[in-house]
Amino acid sequence: MYRQGDILIVPVPEESAPRTLRPEPRDARGRLVLAYGEATGHCHAIPGPGTLSGGFLHLPEGGRLVHEEHAAISLPKGWYRVVRQREYVPGSYRVVAD
Amino acid sequence: METLTWERALLATGPGDGVEEAVRQAYREAGLGEPAHVITLPSPAAGALAAAWLGGDDRRRKELEEAEAHRRRHAAAALRTAGGAEAGPLVPFDVLRGLGEPGRVVREAVRTTPWERARRAAYAELGPTGWAALWDETGGRLWPQADRLITAIRRGLAELGGEELRVATLDAVLGQHDAPWLAAFDKLDGGAEESAEPDGEAGLDVLRGLRGLRGLRRVAGCAGWWWPYERVAIVTERPVELHLDDLGRLHRADGPALAYADGFALHAWHGMPVPADFGTSMRRLTPERIRAEENAELRRAMLEHFGIDRYLAESGAQPLQRDETGVLWRIDLPDDEPITMVEVVNSTPEPDGSRRTYFLRVPPWVRRAREGVAWTFGVEEKDYRPERET
Repeated sequence: MYRQGDILIVPVPEESAPRTLRPEPRDARGRLVLAYGEATGHCHAIPGPGTLSGGFLHLPEGGRLVHEEHAAISLPKGWYRVVRQREYVPGSYRVVAD
Repeated sequence: METLTWERALLATGPGDGVEEAVRQAYREAGLGEPAHVITLPSPAAGALAAAWLGGDDRRRKELEEAEAHRRRHAAAALRTAGGAEAGPLVPFDVLRGLGEPGRVVREAVRTTPWERARRAAYAELGPTGWAALWDETGGRLWPQADRLITAIRRGLAELGGEELRVATLDAVLGQHDAPWLAAFDKLDGGAEESAEPDGEAGLDVLRGLRGLRGLRRVAGCAGWWWPYERVAIVTERPVELHLDDLGRLHRADGPALAYADGFALHAWHGMPVPADFGTSMRRLTPERIRAEENAELRRAMLEHFGIDRYLAESGAQPLQRDETGVLWRIDLPDDEPITMVEVVNSTPEPDGSRRTYFLRVPPWVRRAREGVAWTFGVEEKDYRPERET
């Protein structure tokens, strides 16, 4: 598993990833955006080949996870679950805003 | 008017022009005779009190006058202590007495019936889907904001004069706070007020329906809540102060978030009703003051404003546990669940070489830093082993 700031990338077996979901579109710069920073506009993104759907990331050739404020992380090829960090609020929780 | 304009009307402050003529037009469009008197009062509190007085018998009216005189002596004393000016009269009861009997409440005829007629015609023309879409892009956008203001004012009135004042507001037409549904009907009108050749029967009905709303629309553009009776209309002015936070909630640090010319005011902190001195006290917060606050809601707002990291540093809190993922802290609070937080260090250094630390609140049952960080990602403590962190 890999952590970049407020996201965690957890390797999963291929068969646990759902296949029926529509893949997320890439952004204007052609990157696969895993999470946007609402406050800063920065984002965790994969510039190279791969698909993201329903919170699952598929990197057929491996790839690089980049972010404006964090060092890049090299990811081996495979399937991953993308988890946003959350924070506790009494009775509930909320996604961490960076 | 466009929805944007209606948003401005909803949040407008200061006295408006042409109130009396607008009210008279609304009566005419409802098929009623014009009221003999149109009285303007400074706030919804004054309006609600006047409505309660007008609707009461002699004994009730006397009680209200005495209660009001008592409240005013109290308020004047408090103001003198605070070094402020004395507030003007809230409701001129002698003026109300001079009006004679007001007659029946005609809210139904002035507001509800024309509204229902327009809505039915619009619904027939657009169908359920079209109506829902229209509402979504007009009134639906303004409604949460209007609803918050209306609810806050009603709550303030109940605090001021009890259930009786709150109930009096149920007879009110909401003036500027009716903006959401007026915005929806305006969109249908398409600005073609006088001339348009309606297409077919349904279109004609819509236009007829909308024509019955012009007076209401004009009042909403220049006044606050108003109370229509057969012979008398009590109209109230818009607020003199309105302050919202970036989420549109009532909020102000250095005074009331909503205030009317006669001194009726609501203090709020990010939408939460607070005592009048709460905002200013936020500038002089100390950990002791925060701990001493008995109301858990206010204490939470204080803690967030003060900064939890600063609170930890200044209150001499001890860490519960630390490991390579971070430090676990706990703040015990009377009559509330403890605040448990993990302090984590950013793995990537800042440009100046320092590392940013930040605090994440975790559930109160967490006992170890790793357990806390794992919880923030929804994984088990034993499974939380990143190979790489940046």
